[in-house]
Amino acid sequence: MSDPGAQRLEADNLCVNRGGKSVLEDLSFSVASREVYALLGGNGAGKSTTLLVFLGFLPVARGEARVSGKTASAHPNEVRRCAAYLPESVSLYPHLTARENLDYFLKLAGIAPQATAVESALDRVGLQSSVRDMRMGSFSKGMRQKVAIALALLRDTEILLLDEPTSGLDPRGIDEFHGLIRGLSDAGKTVLMVTHDVYGACQVADRIGLLRDRKLVAEFEAPSGGRIDTETVHRAFGGGSL
Amino acid sequence: MSGSALPREFWLVLRDRAFVAWLLATLLLAGFAVWSGSREVGQQLELVHELTRADDEDRRTTFGQQSDWGSAAYYTFHFTHEPPSELAFAALGQRDSMPWKHRVRMLALEGQIYESDLSNPAIALLGRFDFAFFAALLLPVILIAGLIDLRAGERDAGRLELLEATAASAAALWRLRGGLRLLLICLAALLPLWIGGIVNGAGALPVLLASGVVLLHAAFWGLLAMTVGSRQQPAVVLLIGMIAAWLVFALVVPSTARVAIDRMVELPALADIALTQRETVNDAWDLPKEATMTRFVERYPEWEHSAEISRPFEWKWYYAFQQVGDQSVEEISEALRQGRRKRDRYAGWAALLSPPALVERTLQRLAGTDAVSLLEYEEKVRDFHRQLREFHYPRLFEDASFDPAGIDQLPRFDASAANAP
Repeated sequence: MSDPGAQRLEADNLCVNRGGKSVLEDLSFSVASREVYALLGGNGAGKSTTLLVFLGFLPVARGEARVSGKTASAHPNEVRRCAAYLPESVSLYPHLTARENLDYFLKLAGIAPQATAVESALDRVGLQSSVRDMRMGSFSKGMRQKVAIALALLRDTEILLLDEPTSGLDPRGIDEFHGLIRGLSDAGKTVLMVTHDVYGACQVADRIGLLRDRKLVAEFEAPSGGRIDTETVHRAFGGGSL
Repeated sequence: MSGSALPREFWLVLRDRAFVAWLLATLLLAGFAVWSGSREVGQQLELVHELTRADDEDRRTTFGQQSDWGSAAYYTFHFTHEPPSELAFAALGQRDSMPWKHRVRMLALEGQIYESDLSNPAIALLGRFDFAFFAALLLPVILIAGLIDLRAGERDAGRLELLEATAASAAALWRLRGGLRLLLICLAALLPLWIGGIVNGAGALPVLLASGVVLLHAAFWGLLAMTVGSRQQPAVVLLIGMIAAWLVFALVVPSTARVAIDRMVELPALADIALTQRETVNDAWDLPKEATMTRFVERYPEWEHSAEISRPFEWKWYYAFQQVGDQSVEEISEALRQGRRKRDRYAGWAALLSPPALVERTLQRLAGTDAVSLLEYEEKVRDFHRQLREFHYPRLFEDASFDPAGIDQLPRFDASAANAP
């Protein structure tokens, strides 16, 4: 059982360069156990980069990214074992069916797939039964997204790192997804999601960090028992698009 | 790595239609190479069988029609050959560019060796499509295509991060995937060799040694492809890089080395040997007989006591100037053989810079079809010709009466002795 209040994800003065250019500058924030944290920002703000750093995929120029107390760049395998990752553009094996993809990726994670658990996860993400044995090459982006979310659920890790998790989902799917995330948080999971969807972030996040020009410029916290005010977040950026 | 990792990756790779098609193509190419080599070896064995039978029949008929030893030596031909080894089906080697059969008689030998025609000069120039060619030149290309996009292909498809984030150990995943693909390609390449070995009656040891050579070669290209493939570049860039490496190792290095070696080690022309010998033999008809016999006796002093020629034509004089003809080209012939061995030795050193050339040479050596093996066969022919001379000289110089039963004492070329690779 996770320890409430313990910091699961910590970015400490994180500086990252890619291709000779700075993509993150002095980024510091932390996500506590059971917390849902949304990093909001426009294109190129450094949101996806932050997730890749937490997964140990990118070297840091300065500072440190820690997952459950472990430095990500030094212990990538340990970090990836305790954090499920949902990429922005989900691409699974197109020649395999949804069930076969889940079966493969679960085994890859060292988990023996249970048919009932797989069906239950696919039910939770709302993937129709009729398409579960179809090859994923014919799936829409939203359907692929649902399968990937089901994979993240089935891995049952303490931490979920989600990159634009609602992109490709229809409004109803987005609403169901937000409910899913809240349920996972209640069940003890820690969620860090990056998104450019202000409304969605306000709906689901306990805290929101605003990234602009590679830097964290503001943080918002939901009041006890309530949600972060969408208008407040919008106003922080002059009401314009992020 | 968990015990279920191998079945998991095996399951995935068998569902990759492109890779399975690649495996089938490998199997077909290797199978065709082995079939082609086996067919050629079968034809050579059939030819050897037919020539041996015809030679035996011809020798008995011809010998039986003679009335003196000189005529018997002149008209009787002797079939010599280097039979294909049990592994020749896998590496035909120099058997297209160097003679492996000669029909010789008691006349001057060197001309008989070097005047022989190649059975198919066009094929000798191009080389045959045999297993050695497949293993040396095509297998690297198959491995490059099958392994270079191991990671880059996943990156291009957008799965790389998800795969590496999900795997218990990303490094172990790529090692396993690469190793499995390498193993499957090797199996597809080697299966026809093993079947060919059984069909051609090859022993287990040479086939295992040849398999080991192929596996080492595959490991070299597989590791190189996986190492290059781990770089953060698009698959097409990595592929171009590896094809460039293949061109350098498989074509540029061997051809450059060949040109350099040919310039460093010049060989006498084969035609010079045949021409010089023929001129010596022809000139002998016009020279005083003593001049020929003196040179002959210098080499065979044991026949000095009967070296005097009193009649216009005597067989011992005729065979003496044939021998002198050989002596006249000894130096140039020896230079040719030494040069060939030197070229081969240098080519062996150069092959250390080219894994494909090294594999082809090693397989040809194992199959006894390399230049050295065929030079050894030439020595066997010279040795056999010496036996012929030693059989006939006492009969010619001691003026022995002809005995048709002497055919049973005639030396016979021992093909099995020449068969050892």
